[in-house]
Amino acid sequence: MAIINYANKEVQFKIVFYGPALCGKTTNLAYIHSQITETNKGELVSLATAADRTLFFDFLPLNAIVIRNFKTKFQLYTVPGQVIYNATRQLVLRSVDAVVFVADSQWDKMEENIESFRNLDENLARQGLSLDTIPYVIQLNKRDMPNVAPIHYLDFILNDRAVCVPSFEASATTGQGVFDTLNTVSRMLLVKFARDAEAAAYVKSQPTPAASPMDGVAAGLRQPQAAR
Amino acid sequence: MQSTPIVTIAAAEKFLKTLEEFLNHSEAFFALIIDRGGTILSQSGRPPDGTDITILAALAAGSFAATRELATRVGESEFNALYQQGSHFHILMNAVDDDTMLVTIFSTQTTVGLVRFYSARTSEQIAIQMQELRADCVDAPLVFTEADLNTASQIFRDTTDKAV
Ligand SMILES: Nc1nc2c(ncn2[C@@H]2O[C@H](COP(=O)(O)OP(=O)(O)O)[C@@H](O)[C@H]2O)c(=O)[nH]1
Repeated sequence: MAIINYANKEVQFKIVFYGPALCGKTTNLAYIHSQITETNKGELVSLATAADRTLFFDFLPLNAIVIRNFKTKFQLYTVPGQVIYNATRQLVLRSVDAVVFVADSQWDKMEENIESFRNLDENLARQGLSLDTIPYVIQLNKRDMPNVAPIHYLDFILNDRAVCVPSFEASATTGQGVFDTLNTVSRMLLVKFARDAEAAAYVKSQPTPAASPMDGVAAGLRQPQAAR
Repeated sequence: MQSTPIVTIAAAEKFLKTLEEFLNHSEAFFALIIDRGGTILSQSGRPPDGTDITILAALAAGSFAATRELATRVGESEFNALYQQGSHFHILMNAVDDDTMLVTIFSTQTTVGLVRFYSARTSEQIAIQMQELRADCVDAPLVFTEADLNTASQIFRDTTDKAV
């Protein structure tokens, strides 16, 4: 979940790239890392095996826009896709704010896509989270490959929940669709964050009969003040 | 779901004071309070040269969570501290509460026993401060509104994409 730090005027968010093994999650992060300007990115940390598969997770910290003097910071994580690493996926999903589900468009990966998506749903539920409340988008990756399923078919099997989410055609190796995916999910996340805060502020502004005299003091502490 | 943790100026000062005292007593040189998702809440002291602490935090949270898995496999609910010994630097990680941990880096100028002793005490103090912080922030205050976002530019920019 987002963390607001008034002392250094930052809001931090966590986005997890989820999907079956070898669908292109690490490639997404590598492309993003290669394109973001030096001052706005940290190191791309990859905990991978020699076979180049993500063993633990990949991690990329990014600075994004400043809104009303608050710096927004995003931490991008990938999860290992292999079925056996479910414990790792659960720990990476901890405090997640938004998810990018990366699907492998190749026909022979359909079952793996479906299984991974189901696994995401399950792992979110374990944390008391749900795809109904967490902002997420679907990336249909590897569109450049010859044996890919049509878009409408992929959308039909992966994007069939009550609310359809944005889905993007991508080819992470060339970068096509990568920033569309990232910008959309980040914006969805920021909008949700702002709406939740606005809703909370509205509730707070309503007079409650049982308001204690200390409420004002606590509210005062919460006000943004100039950092020393 | 839990509300957004908010580090207020007052809370930040409390954390800092606690960490500074801890570093003074333990003679460790760097301490970090992070949430178990890997995000930094507070820090004090000087990290080893060239250390990116954002990455340090992410890796510490990851490895602590991994040992928690390990602990459950042998019938423990959690190891409450984890010690990594290096040749120059050592790292001690303490569980503060279900959502928070303390990471301490120290060198041969002090001993693991001393750091362990004070870190346990410090973790208890931080746990109380975290409780206060959560009680204090029952809901997220307005940092920015949806209207601010509508006027905001592209969040991330692909540097090769001149068309944007
Ligand atoms: N042709 C093609 N190959 C891709 C694409 N995205 C990733 N790959 C390749 O697929 C393999 C696995 O990618 P990786 O990012 O490591 O997968 P991860 O396990 O999801 O992190 C690598 O060899 C990539 O180069 C794509 O869009 N098109």
